[in-house]
Amino acid sequence: MLDRESTFADPQIIAWLKDDFVPVAFDQWYVRRQQDAAGDFYRKISGQGPRNNFESTTQGFYLATPSGKLLAYNNNRGPWRIRNLMQQALEQQPAEFHAEPIKTDDRDEQFTRDPPPGTVVVQVNAKVLGGYSDSDSTTNNRAWREIFQNAISRDNLWITQGEQRSLAKGSFPTDLARRLARFHLVDNTRGEPPMWKLEEIKTIQMTVDDQGHLRGSVHLETASGHRGFVGDVWGQLKMKDDRLTQFDLVVKGRFWGHGRYTEGAPRGKFPFAVAFRLAAGDDVADQVAPQGTKGWLDDYLGR
Amino acid sequence: MTWSLMLVSLIASTVTQDADRPLDEIEFRRLHQELNPRDELWKTIPWRISLLDAQRQAAKQDKLIFIWAMDGHPLGCT
Repeated sequence: MLDRESTFADPQIIAWLKDDFVPVAFDQWYVRRQQDAAGDFYRKISGQGPRNNFESTTQGFYLATPSGKLLAYNNNRGPWRIRNLMQQALEQQPAEFHAEPIKTDDRDEQFTRDPPPGTVVVQVNAKVLGGYSDSDSTTNNRAWREIFQNAISRDNLWITQGEQRSLAKGSFPTDLARRLARFHLVDNTRGEPPMWKLEEIKTIQMTVDDQGHLRGSVHLETASGHRGFVGDVWGQLKMKDDRLTQFDLVVKGRFWGHGRYTEGAPRGKFPFAVAFRLAAGDDVADQVAPQGTKGWLDDYLGR
Repeated sequence: MTWSLMLVSLIASTVTQDADRPLDEIEFRRLHQELNPRDELWKTIPWRISLLDAQRQAAKQDKLIFIWAMDGHPLGCT
């Protein structure tokens, strides 16, 4: 979030990325583990930097030639640092760096997350609606704090073909309700969030009537009570030939607590909302697998 | 109370009212619109999400590769 709103909103960086680089973004948790051509190429590049232990995170920015020669690396935030990094790479690039395209297209199936056929992608955005004070932050930088505290997060929800058929019959599938709650009613506005365990769903009610009106409520809470969410559900769906053509939904309520990577939440119970809509399909982010599929696709899909 | 303090209080009160407003048709429409970020500059960048696709394009066009590798997907986790 912070990088998207700061570094990748910088005009010089955007211009360089369009003209002089091929930009690629991914979750290194997968790629550093993959036993395939992509994993080999990534480890070749990152292995030349300081984060060359592939048993732990290798996150950061890597600028390399297409043959895999690392020219610059850092894991720092801020447009000025990335501008310097890009300048360094452009100055160090060899006059000639011809490389052959990697032709191998094998994929390590253990880390492959493709949606089942007929799945629709729903864009999910969450926001903390209030409750922050200046001290509720992991950073003292005012500009970054404002970005965090006004952040609208982004993830994708998958709805399978079978679940769309159930919705068309006026039934909200249990697996979909659980998926929506466990993996998408999370405060991911400050970092990678903890998902809800099945037993942390205290109550969940989702109904759809013959007009496509979605109504419901949800209560999620950890055993310790340190993290939770209680909210209401309101929405509208439309179907055509057993396929969703509209899935507009808002869940609004009170959230409390934080996870290991989402510190700096407002104190106490704070207003929080999550909105859902069908992805337009014109954004590369629509192709990103839901964060909830990380490491266990079957658990995400409830199968 | 000065005018500026009164204005700040009024704005804070409005924000609190919106945050506490119960979810009904009007609030649903307001939030659904508010939580739909548009015109974000990072989206104008021609991101790829496959490292091999990026390598192939870079090799063909003699360009450098810019890798943004994070814990969680940079374009969709948070």
